[in-house]
Amino acid sequence: MWDSFLLGVEMAMRWDTMAMMGVGLMLGMFVGALPGFTTVMAMAILLPLSFFLEPLIGIPFLLGVYKGGIYGGSIPAILVSMPGTGASVATTFDGPALTKKGKGRKALEMALFSSAFGDLSSDIVTIMFIGPIALIALKVGPPELMAILFLALIVIAATSSGVFVKGLLMMVVGLFLGMVGQDPIGALSRFTFDIFQFRAGVPLLPMLIGVYALPEILIAIENRATGMIKQTINSREGGPLTFEEFRSCFRTICRSTMIGTVIGVVPGIGQVVAAFMGYAAAKNASKTPEKFGKGELEGIAAAEAANNAVNGPTMVPLLTLGIPGDNITVILIGAFIAQGLRPGPQLMVEQGPLVFAILVAMVLANILFLIIGYFTIPLFAKVVTIRKSILLPLTVVFAFAGSYVPRSDPFDLLVLVGFGAFGYLVKKLSFDVTPMVMAFILGKELEYSFGQTMVLAQGNLAQYLFFERPITAAIIIGTPFLTYMLWRRSSRLRNEVAAKLSDEIPS
Amino acid sequence: MEPTEENVEQQTGPAHGFNFNTVFGVLFVVASAVLFLIIPGQIEKPLFVLDENVNALKPNLFPRLAAIGFGGLGVWLFFRSFSIDEKNKFKNLDRQAIANVLVTLVMMSVYGPLMMQIGFVVSSAVVIAALSTFFGNRSYGLTAAISIVIPVSIFFVFTNLLATSLPPFPIDTPLTRLYLL
Repeated sequence: MWDSFLLGVEMAMRWDTMAMMGVGLMLGMFVGALPGFTTVMAMAILLPLSFFLEPLIGIPFLLGVYKGGIYGGSIPAILVSMPGTGASVATTFDGPALTKKGKGRKALEMALFSSAFGDLSSDIVTIMFIGPIALIALKVGPPELMAILFLALIVIAATSSGVFVKGLLMMVVGLFLGMVGQDPIGALSRFTFDIFQFRAGVPLLPMLIGVYALPEILIAIENRATGMIKQTINSREGGPLTFEEFRSCFRTICRSTMIGTVIGVVPGIGQVVAAFMGYAAAKNASKTPEKFGKGELEGIAAAEAANNAVNGPTMVPLLTLGIPGDNITVILIGAFIAQGLRPGPQLMVEQGPLVFAILVAMVLANILFLIIGYFTIPLFAKVVTIRKSILLPLTVVFAFAGSYVPRSDPFDLLVLVGFGAFGYLVKKLSFDVTPMVMAFILGKELEYSFGQTMVLAQGNLAQYLFFERPITAAIIIGTPFLTYMLWRRSSRLRNEVAAKLSDEIPS
Repeated sequence: MEPTEENVEQQTGPAHGFNFNTVFGVLFVVASAVLFLIIPGQIEKPLFVLDENVNALKPNLFPRLAAIGFGGLGVWLFFRSFSIDEKNKFKNLDRQAIANVLVTLVMMSVYGPLMMQIGFVVSSAVVIAALSTFFGNRSYGLTAAISIVIPVSIFFVFTNLLATSLPPFPIDTPLTRLYLL
């Protein structure tokens, strides 16, 4: 493992990797800074670009978009009280108040430094833990993998949506869509409805772009007039952040980093909850909690360090077990699959140095992020004012081009529009598409490992699982309990976020 | 899964009447029945079996489980729907918003076939200009510039830098045919 790590460090030190990560960071910050444009949407649309680059360039490019996007959301949150992404909602509690006080520059720099610190620290923790976790994951056989995939799907369904049964239904929709094409054991065709293109299954990329990008566009154009922020933005107002001010928030930044790191490992919770928890913890620990919400630099530091610290650890379940924990890692798994890399226990064995190279690239991305972010804050502050009426059509064109190029098949454009309309419909009706996409991706793997388990069990599945595979049996028995616990916890956290929003946003 | 605005809005409350979730509960039960009906015709039968392994997974097992899932969960959603306090967000949309979404969807639906007929660059220029104007942009000079520059740039990046293919300019196909003749 140590050799793989050293080789990975060597592999990551490439100028083209750095350059594309820099481009990714800039694009991510650009999209993040646009109110109404999400990081997920940016990643879905830019995903096809990564297909045609080698893995060590394409995947770090997407990671750059991810990191840049999460930070970029804080720029409009601070300057105009409009969170660019969901992750920066907690930043609106203190950011705009600081801008009003003429401390916009301090707030933006605090957001940048705390984001970079949170992200960097959590990436280092990820690298430290991924090796040992991967070694354990290597002991996983088909029965255990089947049980883990089943558990992961149920947990994601439970934690994704407010109503458990709706998450489960979307999961079954995804499982069904994954069955279209060929069965994974005998390669017999299923549910192709005599459409030739379905013989290879539902294409993943148009589906991802369709459900994650097009609904955002349709929602954004519901109100055509709200396209532009007319006020003048001055991101250089006030003095720069001093070292003393950063030092005074350092404890808070470390606390939030720990909160974000822990939340990142747990599937289905994500940046929003981390930011709120980090903010709440900082307020509770503060000697002057009454200042929070009225323009407190510590509030910015707490929220931004926590939401960025989630980024690294979300890679742990993805890389070790092949289980994406949220919608962003669902898109990343798409990038891995397109590159011929199947995240999971075997990936660390077959491509250990590459995995470490990607993780090292994540660390380096934070240093780049700090440099690029510092010098481009004024530029991205201007992005806030770009008209949606110009950007949305460009997004449509990019989505279509990206869906078409991997297979050069016009059918994929139909799939894109179909899933776009479907995504919009279900979003309006409060169904979450992430369990569907995850079940679509993991369904075949689940069926295949179940098939292998059946053969290994030689007709007596229960006896085989309970007497010869006790870990599998324990996971299966534990699934309902763990699901219930995580569902309760995520519901409680969501309610806390809702209560916090209703308390703080109107003011 | 970030708790988005709509997730946050969800609260369990007192029992409510028939609502969109009830309809979806019924629809999923219907989907279950339809799936059971189509399974025999939509799963290919092996042409010959050399050595049938009785322990092997049958290709219709998972589809059947999905059908059972639709049915069972549909019934669950049907009964649960009476105690879910969720907003049908379509009800918040006014006529203008619905028209905006429908027009955009129509443009998206037309864009694909148009791209195959007149090439990526020209169709994209048309779509950008039409959508941008429809979304309220009245800077026609800027629209014209973007409509030309962006599709050409995307075309260049995908076809030249990334060595992939996009439907070419309309003039390219006749030229290629002439060359072949």
